[in-house]
Amino acid sequence: MKFNADEIASVIQREIEHYESQIDVREVGTVLEVGDGMARVYGLSSAMSGEMVEFPSGVRGVVFNLEENSVSIAVLGDYLAINEGDEVKALGRLLSVPVGDAVIGRVVDPLGNPLDGKGPIVTTEFRNVEGTAPGVAERQPVKEPLQTGIKAIDAMTPIGRGQRELIIGDRKTGKTTIAIDTILNQKGKGVKCFYVAIGQKESSVANSVRVLEEKGAMEYTTVVLAGASSPAALQVYAAASGTAMAEYFMYKGEHALIVYDDLSKQAQAYRQISLLVRRPPGREAYPGDVFYNHSRLLERSSKMSKELGGGSLTSLPIIETLEGEVSAYIPTNVISITDGQIYLQPDLFFKGVRPAMNVGISVSRVGGSAQIKAMKAREVAGGLRLTLAAFRELEAFAQLGTDLDAATQSKLDRGYRMVELLKQPQYQPLDVIDQIIVIFAANTGGMDDVPINQVRRFETEYLQYVKDVKSAARNLLAEKKELTPEVKDALNAALADFKKTYKKA
Amino acid sequence: MADTAQTAGKFDAGRQHLGTVYAKALLGAAQQAGQADRVLEELESLESDVFKKMPALRLTLTSPRVAEDEKLALLDRAFAGKMSGVLLNFLKVTARHDRLNCLPDVLRSLRQLVNDAAGKVSVTVRSAYPLSNPLRNRIATRLGEVLKKQVTLDVEVDPDLLGGLVVRIGDTVYDGSVAASLQRMKTVALEQTSQAIRESLTRFTAT
Repeated sequence: MKFNADEIASVIQREIEHYESQIDVREVGTVLEVGDGMARVYGLSSAMSGEMVEFPSGVRGVVFNLEENSVSIAVLGDYLAINEGDEVKALGRLLSVPVGDAVIGRVVDPLGNPLDGKGPIVTTEFRNVEGTAPGVAERQPVKEPLQTGIKAIDAMTPIGRGQRELIIGDRKTGKTTIAIDTILNQKGKGVKCFYVAIGQKESSVANSVRVLEEKGAMEYTTVVLAGASSPAALQVYAAASGTAMAEYFMYKGEHALIVYDDLSKQAQAYRQISLLVRRPPGREAYPGDVFYNHSRLLERSSKMSKELGGGSLTSLPIIETLEGEVSAYIPTNVISITDGQIYLQPDLFFKGVRPAMNVGISVSRVGGSAQIKAMKAREVAGGLRLTLAAFRELEAFAQLGTDLDAATQSKLDRGYRMVELLKQPQYQPLDVIDQIIVIFAANTGGMDDVPINQVRRFETEYLQYVKDVKSAARNLLAEKKELTPEVKDALNAALADFKKTYKKA
Repeated sequence: MADTAQTAGKFDAGRQHLGTVYAKALLGAAQQAGQADRVLEELESLESDVFKKMPALRLTLTSPRVAEDEKLALLDRAFAGKMSGVLLNFLKVTARHDRLNCLPDVLRSLRQLVNDAAGKVSVTVRSAYPLSNPLRNRIATRLGEVLKKQVTLDVEVDPDLLGGLVVRIGDTVYDGSVAASLQRMKTVALEQTSQAIRESLTRFTAT
């Protein structure tokens, strides 16, 4: 491709002809000292807290602390290019980021600058990074489901649109996988997804982005990245910046999902800059307002009232615990803020139960109102909880090796099969209708005669069979979204027919 | 000791804050004696004619190794009868509080306070070329009319501006320089052109 230089020149010429020279008025200050990503500035006498400033090198900063004689600026970029005595310019507006369709499908930094080499982000719409959450009158209860595509979660800790569900667990227990799976499952469901990576290894983020791209999920997803080597200030503001981008769609009446991966790193970055501006340390040296920081952030996720368009913002904050210590400061804080938690355990993970979710202590405070009727039914999720509760009780007892009566043995067998059924490979979210079909089959005893190690094969083949041969039954369920006697009969018939063709290995 | 001499000239926000407190007290005392202008003048001269030329004297007066009595005696011997009583008393009080190192900051604040009280304002003007005297007067009068204050101009020459003026009043900068205009024009032209190219690529490609 060759460019036509004359045409470009004419555009520039027109720009120059129409250029109106105005006097640039700015409020300035002088850098007194700079270090550790913070700059202390004298002057800027009418600076606001949270206002954006610019250094001569073009690096932006945000007013973090207003002190008696000076202003502390959190530098959002390379602070090594700033010198003592530099003139700092106040930009007169609060920290804001580009929002709208232009950011969808992009990988951006917390200021909205592209990091994916796909050219500049062109939009006229900006939103303040910090904002207040919707008030009581503007909200309505969470009632629509947000399907994660993961059987264990959709059946037992259902997530609704507008809910905040915490994913908590030690390192390497599959926290990010659950989040990525959930994003993958939103394909074609009209939910815009935002993955905010805070303090993550750039290599693992690159990997996640690659998965999203391969599965076609980047079409509706934005990745906001403040990696492990980013300045602490950028890591702190990444969460709010992603929220601002996601919120835009909620206020437009659309649905959005945001994943904060992870908030413990964000809290650490916040602790770092708070200590640098000499705010008093509290428990675990976190500043006193770290709770407020997180509650303010997560409160922005909500389900808007019908009059305001009924949009929603669902958030999945992730917290990494150390050695399963959930009673540390940040985990307890975030547990108390969110509407439930998915608790992942390493021992389950290594036993091969993946997702390694401990279903006993994972909860969702929204519950059944975030499930479709068919899923809620006693034969599906309702029964599953009971079966698993009974199973856990018996499992420890059964390990003693004593002889068991037939009723107990059958409860145990059902339990083992359920645990097996809830296992699910990475990046393969399952449609909610398919989830109902298999859980219904297992819960009504349809899998009791399948050997435990063949449950997963049975599941895949059964689903394929229903799709290929019994699509009428499947469509009926998808249409009714309820387990009417008619639907139950169709499903039972499908299972019976399938079993005739199924060959045990 | 050499270290102290260096830091004395440097700006420090904490010391400036102390300086303002002392300057307010000094101005109050001087106004009661009806000598505000005289005290400012004497302090200016003390700073520029005495301390700047005899750094050893400043070091002696600010050194923690010299006892308080000796400092007071030294002040008496050096300045008694040569400056107004108010200023001498002020120096003694400051010496007793061990704050003589804040003297440059006191002077800066005092100048500001006296100017404020008299409705004067000091404005820094930067230009690419030296300004002629009539031009300076015109700028000062015009600024005075706008600000409704008596303007004292500090003029600096900065060839990097290429042309035009940069006026700084307090923390606010009014930038009418050619350099800033060109910079802004560059950003706007770049933005608009890349926008136009993105909108219709065909228009710009040679066929």
